[in-house]
Amino acid sequence: MRYYFINQEMKEFSLDVEFHQNKTMEFKYEGKKTTLFLKSVAGKNYFSFDGIGWKKLAALGVNEVLVSHSEMYKVYRGFKPSGLNKGAAGALVTQMPGKVVKLMKKEGDTVTKGETVLILEAMKMENEIKAGADGIIKAINVKEGQALDSGFLMVEIEE
Amino acid sequence: MKGKRVLIINRGEIAIRVAKALNELGLVSVGVWTDNETEPPHLEYCQEWVHLVGNNNKETYLNIPKIMDLIEKYKIDGVHPGYGFLSENREFSEALAKKGITFIGPNPTAVYKMGAKDISKQVAKEAGVPVVPGSTGEVDTIEEAIKIGNEIGFPVLLKAVAGGGGKGMRPCMNEEDVKNNFAAVQREALSGFGYAGLLVEKYILNPHHIEVQILADKKGNVYHVFERECSVQRRHQKIIEEAPSPFIGTDEVLRNSICEAAVKCARAVNYDSAGTVEFIMGEDKKFYFLEMNTRIQVEHPITEEITGVDLVANMIKSAFGEPLDFKSQDDIKILGHAIELRICAEDPISMLPAPGKIVGFETTFPQGIRFDHCIYPKFTITPDFDPMIGKLIAKGFNREVALRKVRNAAEGLIIDGIKTNIALHKVILNEENFIKGNYSTNYIGTIKPQEKVAVKEDIKAFMLKVAAIELNQMGGQV
Repeated sequence: MRYYFINQEMKEFSLDVEFHQNKTMEFKYEGKKTTLFLKSVAGKNYFSFDGIGWKKLAALGVNEVLVSHSEMYKVYRGFKPSGLNKGAAGALVTQMPGKVVKLMKKEGDTVTKGETVLILEAMKMENEIKAGADGIIKAINVKEGQALDSGFLMVEIEE
Repeated sequence: MKGKRVLIINRGEIAIRVAKALNELGLVSVGVWTDNETEPPHLEYCQEWVHLVGNNNKETYLNIPKIMDLIEKYKIDGVHPGYGFLSENREFSEALAKKGITFIGPNPTAVYKMGAKDISKQVAKEAGVPVVPGSTGEVDTIEEAIKIGNEIGFPVLLKAVAGGGGKGMRPCMNEEDVKNNFAAVQREALSGFGYAGLLVEKYILNPHHIEVQILADKKGNVYHVFERECSVQRRHQKIIEEAPSPFIGTDEVLRNSICEAAVKCARAVNYDSAGTVEFIMGEDKKFYFLEMNTRIQVEHPITEEITGVDLVANMIKSAFGEPLDFKSQDDIKILGHAIELRICAEDPISMLPAPGKIVGFETTFPQGIRFDHCIYPKFTITPDFDPMIGKLIAKGFNREVALRKVRNAAEGLIIDGIKTNIALHKVILNEENFIKGNYSTNYIGTIKPQEKVAVKEDIKAFMLKVAAIELNQMGGQV
């Protein structure tokens, strides 16, 4: 089975895995092989890279996102989706769910890189959403007070 | 008191903590669930479950008329507000008093006097406790804020009268900053606390945030339960707290004087519950009254750990007019040291909230760990609530032992599927200034431990994710 990992910048890599009956997983990454040992003890799952030292395997979900420190990867099992295109610097996309508090600009306004375009409230904090490029605001797809999911294209700036 | 029905009008870990105390004291714990959180884990500890209809906090946890209706419908005798939401709302405690419902918190007058920061400063001043220079009342305009700034000297802090927990406050270095931030702080105040009034005060450089726990009964007995150091903060919000304060250290004269000052403030308002008097301490060890939080605080467990005093249970006993678990100030002693890490659903580097769904949760802790939390696999953290999802508390014979234990505990806490600040905590716990106890509230801003959080993940993390997905395909067990 091949797994694909694709991050927000559309950087991607793949990992091949094969499960064996002796409770090991054989990974192939950049031509290098790695064996992962798995074991269930008292209802919990453990992993080991050498068969001697064991640690708890926490995740059991089918969550298709891998979150680690500052990076976030979408995980695809067996296939790579088509139609993923790179977001431009002028496209302001929500990084987390939130609510639009105030629009500072309107369509047709000229903005410079770093200028605040709107204020987004997330988890009771006000966040200034700034223009990623110099240009003219082509479209504002949100209204004040609107609740947004993560990944929503709020504003498009024409460079 | 036994058999009284108490409504917990809160959620998350504090609702669990309160329910535990109610159950132990023989009261009936009544918990609520809302339409935007239909399966809150605190219900596990509540004997009765009530539907608080609504999709956002304004409709639910902040809606006084709706809560009063529930109280009548379910024949509630008392209410515990937890922290945040209506915990320091005078209207709410007065509405309850009018109906003869016990508010598990201080009397409405104390809430009023200490809840409004402009009045509380006056109270402290009159009680002989030094205060930070600033505006004597609410500041309505940018011009007025700038005028006060020029009088007391910049930098100044703009803060919400009704605020708390670091929300609704911003430092301003000059007139320009005041102009840029005034409206935003007003909006945060209005949306977070339902009141837009602002104060201006002097911003002390390299300060320590040290607070004293107060516990008082209805008979006029006011005790202190020693201090907590809460100087590791980001955006004026605490992330690590410890007790006792390493900055006060072995200076028992200073410890006694700050604790006595707190008792004076509490006595001045006839305080009759658990509460916290917050001070700001400069590098010269001079301290000023900041505010009094008339509620149980997030970081109360470290005080419980070093003194053995159950603050939540005693707060409930006090509200129902019962005697406290101890008889005199001398019964309360510090034994050992405790450190608390606030576990938040946030990016460990930018420290911004990062909601999402938890897919895995495991703990492997050393002896002496307490973990107050509301985490479970499949728990979805939404932007509706505070990103704090747990508190990891270690108690040790001394600071060095507590540090050793909390470091090991952080290694053994695995939360998968969301970003958390555990990686940041691990850096801080191994950082030389923190280890020595040399830190002020500027710690995060100047030492920048967040920059030492490893950005790149080992390929092994990806292999484990694959193993988890494959295992799930096979039914969860090898």
